[in-house]
Amino acid sequence: MEKQKKQKLTSLKPKLTAVAVKPTAADRSFNIIVDVFLWVLLFIIAIPLWSTITLSFRPNDYIGTNLEGMFLPIWKWSTAAYKALLGNNGFVLAFGNSLKILVMGVATALLLTIPLAYVLSIKTLPGRKILNWLIIVPYVFNVGMIPSYLLVTSLGLQDHLAAVFLPVAVSTYNCLIMRSFFEGIPNELKESARIDGASEIQVLLRIILPLSKAIILTVGLFYGVSFWNDFFHAMLYLNKNDLQPLPILLRNILMASGMNEYVEVNAFGDAPISAIKAASVFMSAIPMVIAYPFIQKYFTKGTLLGSVKG
Amino acid sequence: MKKTLAIVLALAALLSPVFAQGTTETAAPQAEDKPVTIDLWYGAAITEAGPPPEDWAGYKIIKDKLNIDLKLTALPSNESDQDVKIQAAGAANNLPDLFMVRRDTLLRLVKQGLVAPVDDLYAKMPVRTKNHYDDASIKNTTISGHSYGLADPGSIAKNEGLLIRKDWLDKLGLAVPKTLDELYNVMVAFTTKDPDGNGKNDTYGYGAFQEINNYEEWPGRRLEPILGAFGVEGTWNMTEASAGLNVLKPEFFDAMTFIKKCQDAGVIDPNWLAYKKDDFRAAWKQGRFGIMREQNAAYAATANYAPFDKNFPNGEWIVIDPPVGTTGKSSVGPYTTNFRIYSISAKAAKEGKADKIAQLLEWMASDEGYYLLGWGVEGVNYTKNANGIPVADGVANKDLAFSAPQGQTVTQLRNMVFYNGDIELGSRYPTYKTATSGKTMSALVTLRDMQSRKWTAEIGADMLPTPNADLKRFYEQGLSEFITGKRQLTQENWNQWIDEFKKQGGQAWNDAGVKYAQDNNLLN
Amino acid sequence: MRQAKKKETKGQLWREIQRHKSIYAILIIPLAYYILFKYVPIWNGQIAFKDYMALDGVLGSKWVGLDNFKAFVHSYYFWELIRNTLMYSVGKLIFCVPLSIILAIALYECVHPKLGKVVQTLAYLPHFLSWVIMYGILLALLAPGDGVVNDIIKMCGGKPIDFLTNTKAFPWIVILSDAWKEMGWSAIIFIAALMGIDPSLFEAAMVEGANSWQRVKYITLPSISSVIVIVVLLRLGTILDAGFNQIFMLYSTPVYSVGDIIDTWVYRQGLLEFQFGLATAVGLFKGAIGLLLIVASNKLVKRFGGSTLY
Repeated sequence: MEKQKKQKLTSLKPKLTAVAVKPTAADRSFNIIVDVFLWVLLFIIAIPLWSTITLSFRPNDYIGTNLEGMFLPIWKWSTAAYKALLGNNGFVLAFGNSLKILVMGVATALLLTIPLAYVLSIKTLPGRKILNWLIIVPYVFNVGMIPSYLLVTSLGLQDHLAAVFLPVAVSTYNCLIMRSFFEGIPNELKESARIDGASEIQVLLRIILPLSKAIILTVGLFYGVSFWNDFFHAMLYLNKNDLQPLPILLRNILMASGMNEYVEVNAFGDAPISAIKAASVFMSAIPMVIAYPFIQKYFTKGTLLGSVKG
Repeated sequence: MKKTLAIVLALAALLSPVFAQGTTETAAPQAEDKPVTIDLWYGAAITEAGPPPEDWAGYKIIKDKLNIDLKLTALPSNESDQDVKIQAAGAANNLPDLFMVRRDTLLRLVKQGLVAPVDDLYAKMPVRTKNHYDDASIKNTTISGHSYGLADPGSIAKNEGLLIRKDWLDKLGLAVPKTLDELYNVMVAFTTKDPDGNGKNDTYGYGAFQEINNYEEWPGRRLEPILGAFGVEGTWNMTEASAGLNVLKPEFFDAMTFIKKCQDAGVIDPNWLAYKKDDFRAAWKQGRFGIMREQNAAYAATANYAPFDKNFPNGEWIVIDPPVGTTGKSSVGPYTTNFRIYSISAKAAKEGKADKIAQLLEWMASDEGYYLLGWGVEGVNYTKNANGIPVADGVANKDLAFSAPQGQTVTQLRNMVFYNGDIELGSRYPTYKTATSGKTMSALVTLRDMQSRKWTAEIGADMLPTPNADLKRFYEQGLSEFITGKRQLTQENWNQWIDEFKKQGGQAWNDAGVKYAQDNNLLN
Repeated sequence: MRQAKKKETKGQLWREIQRHKSIYAILIIPLAYYILFKYVPIWNGQIAFKDYMALDGVLGSKWVGLDNFKAFVHSYYFWELIRNTLMYSVGKLIFCVPLSIILAIALYECVHPKLGKVVQTLAYLPHFLSWVIMYGILLALLAPGDGVVNDIIKMCGGKPIDFLTNTKAFPWIVILSDAWKEMGWSAIIFIAALMGIDPSLFEAAMVEGANSWQRVKYITLPSISSVIVIVVLLRLGTILDAGFNQIFMLYSTPVYSVGDIIDTWVYRQGLLEFQFGLATAVGLFKGAIGLLLIVASNKLVKRFGGSTLY
């Protein structure tokens, strides 16, 4: 019974049952415009995506325009590009490295960001203004790659997976967004817990965190995507070939340029290079695409409302 | 409280392997029994195929015979990424022991004092020096009187040519064009007269993309045959009589006018300004245009010709002479010797590793190293045919052949041992029959054909001073704006632009280049 | 009198600090991280004022004062770079932020859950596509010879447009393709904000006879205004970051005059030519401007009574 309930799709907005009001003409026109907007958007987004999907399945002997290529019947599709990628030696290894970076990176990032954001959200904290400035200044003063590189190498972090996520484990943007959500949690909740004798850490863990599932998952997702897609830090700090994550492999495929003069040998069999590029991009996006719908489920409406009323 | 502690401990446990990973690399002590660690950053033969496997035969042989623990790192496939990675390592004084580097980057590293001179190493590698390092090679890496890198031969010179669709010429009843005007007429015919006979207006005369390097500036390598008809091929003119930048010569304006004519008439593939290399290659395989300058293997090797062959079994390309201009000039383009430089970091030299590195390189040049790095293990990755040339047939497991995706990993270091010898060329460019049309093709035959055409010798042109980024941008941007029509191409506008160019540093660049060429005896 | 008050406030301050002792305890680890990984690189950033030599290190390199900054400002292209950079970042701000807000509201208000779910899922997918493949998609769509769009234009009897190499069209392509790619992803944060709105506010509005348009204007938008302000402010702080990865993939010599931004110039002049002092100097320059903007816009927001960044 519970499972069935979850599967039913509901709108994002909560249904207002308390008041029954007849929809006016303005309401109807509003709904129509919303629908039209969404349909138009659907096509604008879908068409280039479709063009890329068909590109990744395009057979090597296809002649014709790209427009026609989008309507190629499905029996003419070729999976050569995907087979080539999955058969590639380093692929599974790189995937595993990326996964490790993802899990450890998101854990570290959340572990550091949540306390920081929470402390910043406490309006009565003396020195709050200074703290806020402390957080924002490095965000704006992005001194670039070299100063950060000098620090990380002097710490001896090269050839450690941590070098990829540790320097960027706290993003000011994510921290401030989290802070603004924590600020929105009514003080009465914290006060009532404190009166009951809870310590600050307990307040954070027992009251704040359960209410902040949505924002924690959102920020975790933001961190996750940036770690998963990071190429630059991995290229700079990871020299050993068995540590390299997926973006390095994919970038080598996508950006292979002049140096490869051994053009007589094709690393990918008979898939056209454009199909390989398209397929490699989809494969790198898969974990995120799979994860998002699960996280979306947690954006439950009115969680905050529920606790205050209760 | 307990819960908190539990979570913190769990996370600490989760994160600890992160900090334990990777071995600490310090210079191994020089005791005779402990192997010397050599960190090698190499340019892979085919980066996307992946590095040599853990059980690669080379590791064991190198450790047993030379007492070297070899640590391999493949550089990124993209040249700019390579530069960034190497320069970043340099900035932290963290360069590996032996690494591949481009000449421009090497100059900067030498200025920073991060690279070791290798003058005395040539004598320690007699076999390798005989095959790899001739005078031009040593000269290429000589800066302020010392050689700072070991320049292996790169791609073979003059390995490109002007190709034209013979079947299109035949269908339209046209003769092979010899002069620039004839070439133009053929371009028009290819564009307007439907040479592939499919009833659609989807073909063009000339195809290209912007391929720029420091001795073939804008419009780039693919249009050199056209520039050659005006005598302005290459960035520089390297003759004694008229040394200097070609863009400053009056004939360059004529060449630009011709190219603009082609662009306006639509006889050059309009995508050429937007293409990257892969797009260009995909385009000719789909029969988009009928004339191009292409590399021998990119055109004729089995894997590359096959898609074209499948699409157009009756299609045929032939190599032709570059078009002759009104003043009787012609050229496929400038050529110089290409090198792939490997340098030793100053840090490694200080640790006393230079001699060990020389030993390693010398072993690579031995027969054992040559075949192992070039093709793999005999019987497993290759067999020798009747002429002693390694081929991919006859191996026990087809997947491990050196040209198969899995086997390619063991030959990633091949460009440290190849020197364009006959065995290599025979192996890389075999004669074969195409799958669909049954034609006999050989990239080697094509190569010799291409090499026999008229080229302009500009040895050392890639060593001449390069402009700073702003001047380079001014140059390239200005020229491309003349072609796209953003600037009107009149003699007056051109002269104005040239004056501005000279003022912005163009004259200084020209003079610096001429002086360098004169000082180093590079002029013909 | 003043002296007495000062002593009083000092004592008060000390008491406040004591009261929040355990909160400061939470702060220790994240703050230490922040100082190490964000402020030490700023210390290393002094190479902006030096002629950085790798063997001399950060401290040993020769001091050259403002020479690096001068090299940047005196570049032939300096004003053009500033103009282009601002054109893109402001253009993207004006396009993407309102679009993602509208998208979030449309998804929230949509009465057809299936449509909403499909659009929402599709809209965030382009975010995962790297700009290398985006270049391929755009080429397939916009190429002058055989792009899909130009095919359609030709069918309608028009002349094909060279979108990617035309200085008039190029800026639009950059802004619109970025909006296409990021709109769905940027909407996530607004959707999360919308889901935190107390539904009883909507009920109250309906009782008072407000139609949908009015509801959006008077309830929905104001409720998420603090998030909007933070997002805009943070983007303003990095106004001189116009999207290096995108422009780097899309630009080419015919459109340098409208495509070259500060970061692409720094990449060519600074990174590729081993001029790390110069590259860092430009980073500081960007930082200084960004900081000014954040301070100014924060003051503006304060004046209009909104919630501020610090």
